[in-house]
Amino acid sequence: MTSRPELTGHASLFYNQKEARKYHSSSRMIGVQREITERAMELLRLDPNTPALILDVGCGSGLSGQILEENGHVWLGCDVSRDMLTVANNTAKQQSQQPPKEESMQQDDSDDEEEEEEEEGASTGDLMHHDMGTGLPFRPATFDACISISALQWLCYSNSKNQNPKKRLLRFFSSLYTVLKRGGRAVLQFYPETADQAVLISETATKVGFAGGVVVDYPNSAKAKKHYLVLSFDRSSTQQQQQQQRPLTTGMHEQQQQQHVTVGSTMEGANNKKKKAPKKKKGVKTKEWIVHKKAMQRKKGKDVRPDTKYTARRRPHKF
Amino acid sequence: MRLLTHNTLRNNTADAKGKGFPLKITATEIRVEETAPTMEVDRQVAFCKNMLSRLDWPALVQASRDMGIPTLPPVLTDEMAHDTAFLQALYKILMQVHLEQGMLTCPVTGREFPVTNGIPNMLLEEEECEHVKL
Ligand SMILES: C[S@@+](CC[C@H](N)C(=O)[O-])C[C@H]1O[C@@H](n2cnc3c(N)ncnc32)[C@H](O)[C@@H]1O
Repeated sequence: MTSRPELTGHASLFYNQKEARKYHSSSRMIGVQREITERAMELLRLDPNTPALILDVGCGSGLSGQILEENGHVWLGCDVSRDMLTVANNTAKQQSQQPPKEESMQQDDSDDEEEEEEEEGASTGDLMHHDMGTGLPFRPATFDACISISALQWLCYSNSKNQNPKKRLLRFFSSLYTVLKRGGRAVLQFYPETADQAVLISETATKVGFAGGVVVDYPNSAKAKKHYLVLSFDRSSTQQQQQQQRPLTTGMHEQQQQQHVTVGSTMEGANNKKKKAPKKKKGVKTKEWIVHKKAMQRKKGKDVRPDTKYTARRRPHKF
Repeated sequence: MRLLTHNTLRNNTADAKGKGFPLKITATEIRVEETAPTMEVDRQVAFCKNMLSRLDWPALVQASRDMGIPTLPPVLTDEMAHDTAFLQALYKILMQVHLEQGMLTCPVTGREFPVTNGIPNMLLEEEECEHVKL
């Protein structure tokens, strides 16, 4: 992947068959997307006990959706690249044909008898071919939440004469505002090329009525730095007043001094992160890691499946 | 495309004026999944409960008929909404019945959206999109 694929033209041309397969089978990519999505989930603050319907914008090959699934939610993924969707689709179909798989990440809080017998099965995700810049084609107040991982920056570029980035951003955010359930949240991680892009994106989001702002993780590391646009409806809360007193997004420069540009209720999550030093990226979960994690969960009294030869088995990618 | 997804979709071209729902299903190939998606039964039921108020029931009844499932009652009663067995069956209908090949047609404009290999193509030309004022 070039450092700025957005500059190479239309996303569906960049994420072609070859790139889609490469993307989906790169253990580095899988690890990075997992970490980002887990962080996005943290910022979403969903009730873990209520299975939600989540929209995944720019779902790609389904790496981000996988995490939604592990958390016991149902998701709908949209992507403009048919080749990425094909990889996601094939993975999902394979999954539904597989014998019960080991799932170490599952958040099984209940200790139902039933659930032990329950075989792990098909994906909870569904897919749609769609360009977010044309507005989301759903009925109002449909989704409990929305995530978007490493896709939003594409909207800042024009792929043809009749594409106006500002219009496309506005269309996207105003449709997002419509299709989210009142009280729902959206967390969109993106890679701004410039400070102006980050400003444009978050200003467009507030323009349509969203409250929220940008959380920046690892602000001092050029490599690990991540921007999360956290959006909600609570415009009347005191946090909102606080927010009105300062600009939604400050420039990159200022962000580095401030460590984090956070707004309202996103503060807490961001502060947690602040204490952590940038981690080394681990890539895929090793068997040792999973066995360890399962042991930890057992200690906490959670119902965790026994370790078997299937634990941490690699799932096939070929089709 | 799941029946759940169908229930959320709306044609958002400018000329549909927000009324492009429900999309009419013409089914060429349907796939009924045997295994339920990765979710404990309790969670399946909880999911359906969470979704009930958001579902457009008449649209779901019609869509399930178009997909060869005539069993959904035309009216959703309060009793059903609290009946675990019913909600479990509803989960299957929402999640395990897929349109693999077919067509979705907007009831207002007639705009067609093809479904191939289970994936609806909702791409629009820039000219069709809702107008936005900057
Ligand atoms: C880096 S990938 C991330 C995929 C996935 N979210 C993940 O975490 O693995 C970015 C995705 O955004 C998609 N994308 C780019 N522009 C888009 C647009 N206008 N509408 C929908 N998806 C888009 C690309 O096709 C690509 O699959």
